[in-house]
Amino acid sequence: MMVSPTDVRRTTIEMLYRARASHLGPSMSVIDILCAVYGLVDLPRIRASAAGRDRVFLSKGHAAAGLYATLWHFDLLDIDPRQHYCRDGSVLAGHASHAVQGVEHSTGALGHGLPVAAGCAYGLRSKGFNDARVYVVVGDGELQEGSNWEGLMFARHHNLSNLTVIVDANGISSIRPTREVIDLEPMGRVFAGLGFAVEEVKGDYAAIDTALRKLHALSQPSVLIARTTKGQGIPFAENQPIWHYRSLDDTLFAEALAALDRATKDAVPEEIIP
Amino acid sequence: MRASILDTLFATMAQDERIFFLTADMGIYLVERFEQAYPKRFLNVGIAEQNMIGVAAGLVNAGFRPFAYTISNFLIHRALEQIRNDILLHQYPVVLLGTSAGWDNAPLGPTHHILDDWGTLAALGSGIDIYCPSSKNYAAALVPRLIAGGRPAYVRIAKSSALPESPEGDFFHLEGDPAAPLLIGYGTTTVTLLEVHEQRPETGVLILQKLSPCDCLDLGPILTQYSRAIVVEDHFAHSGIHAALCRQAMQKGWPVKLESAAPTHYSLTVSPNENGYFGRFGMSVEALRERAAPNVIS
Repeated sequence: MMVSPTDVRRTTIEMLYRARASHLGPSMSVIDILCAVYGLVDLPRIRASAAGRDRVFLSKGHAAAGLYATLWHFDLLDIDPRQHYCRDGSVLAGHASHAVQGVEHSTGALGHGLPVAAGCAYGLRSKGFNDARVYVVVGDGELQEGSNWEGLMFARHHNLSNLTVIVDANGISSIRPTREVIDLEPMGRVFAGLGFAVEEVKGDYAAIDTALRKLHALSQPSVLIARTTKGQGIPFAENQPIWHYRSLDDTLFAEALAALDRATKDAVPEEIIP
Repeated sequence: MRASILDTLFATMAQDERIFFLTADMGIYLVERFEQAYPKRFLNVGIAEQNMIGVAAGLVNAGFRPFAYTISNFLIHRALEQIRNDILLHQYPVVLLGTSAGWDNAPLGPTHHILDDWGTLAALGSGIDIYCPSSKNYAAALVPRLIAGGRPAYVRIAKSSALPESPEGDFFHLEGDPAAPLLIGYGTTTVTLLEVHEQRPETGVLILQKLSPCDCLDLGPILTQYSRAIVVEDHFAHSGIHAALCRQAMQKGWPVKLESAAPTHYSLTVSPNENGYFGRFGMSVEALRERAAPNVIS
């Protein structure tokens, strides 16, 4: 199943606007990653909650809006997130919640998802579910949390080849460019030095999809560094740290939708444009 | 106590393939048999307590029932956020096995003491059962109980706390004269309280083996027999059993006066064993025997 990241962005923008919610920037940067991952996993087994299903953990839980929208587009979430996100009494909280259909694990405090994913990958292997893959999406700023490195060392030591760590490398931590806060570059060499197979690509759907397929063929734990853009697809928010926090007003909402409409139009082959 | 729990757990693993044993590189000459017998259900995650809790959560996601073992001072404080978010929030059936409670690591200094472990967990208010076995029978029976319960749990494993009669209930009462105070304790203080009782038989003793939630323990019929009770614990009173019983006494109108003998701070001066610390904080046999005299009111 393939879903257009632009469509997911449009849903996410509507969710954020209706809820007057924050985290536009990180939600936008993660959407191509999530679309590529959910495009690869065995969706029927996830829908059935099969014990040997593939797992997707969003460790950067503040991108929950992007996750819920993706789940909805992939028919893994039955309720329309635009009607429920951050509403009174809803379980669709502003950080990823396992109370939401399709979400494996609640996250929000950073540095939690990778150890959980590593434990899950180990457990699936112990149970003989050798076809099940585990993906965990972390932020580049999130890597400042030390618990990630405990999980990475664990994954490498146990050669968890069924685990792929995807870094949403949008280049902005919370309030500053990541390189100005804690510079982990060249990130690829860091992970390679730890013993991971590493792919580093531009943060768009096609490149991520290709890289993930390549990593699947390997017999070692892997890291995909996706060089995304914070606020990706929303021009006024791109690379602006404030869009980690700011919410949309009517004018900017319209501007964001217009930008996404242009992206949709640009994506349609010229010969079918009337 | 530790051996009772681990022996039972080891035996249970043969029958229940869901059980998974984790250690954060602790338990020399104790955990090796788990690895040898059940290599696919054993992990030494290394000196990485946060990772141990995260991995435990991931193992639950994959269908296992993890028991996570290390010394309590590292287990609780280092990984508190992981315990809250990854275990309690999800109500995952992970059992935390914490050794070296209170001052059980006395000579190693305050970084290796833990005087606020279970109170900290209970304060999270997110549903965790907390036990501190003082009898071998109780400890052995606790393992299947925890598995059947399917809830998050913390077992505070004290070094020396064996009750002579090995009762299986959540609490154990040695009756005393209602004119004398009731001594209440758990874990390592059990030995001290029993010694006071032996020297002064009119002093009643109540040993708790389940610490939280303790509201469901039916302690009213015992506590209302006495006009005074002294809670003796190697844990801060403000988050320990003293505080929990004070709340209950106020809510239920128990007339008992609840006093405390407990540490007030982490001490920088070392002692070769827990008794040195017991002496500093009025928890020694001598101090309690004196305080338990019928005409002495704290």
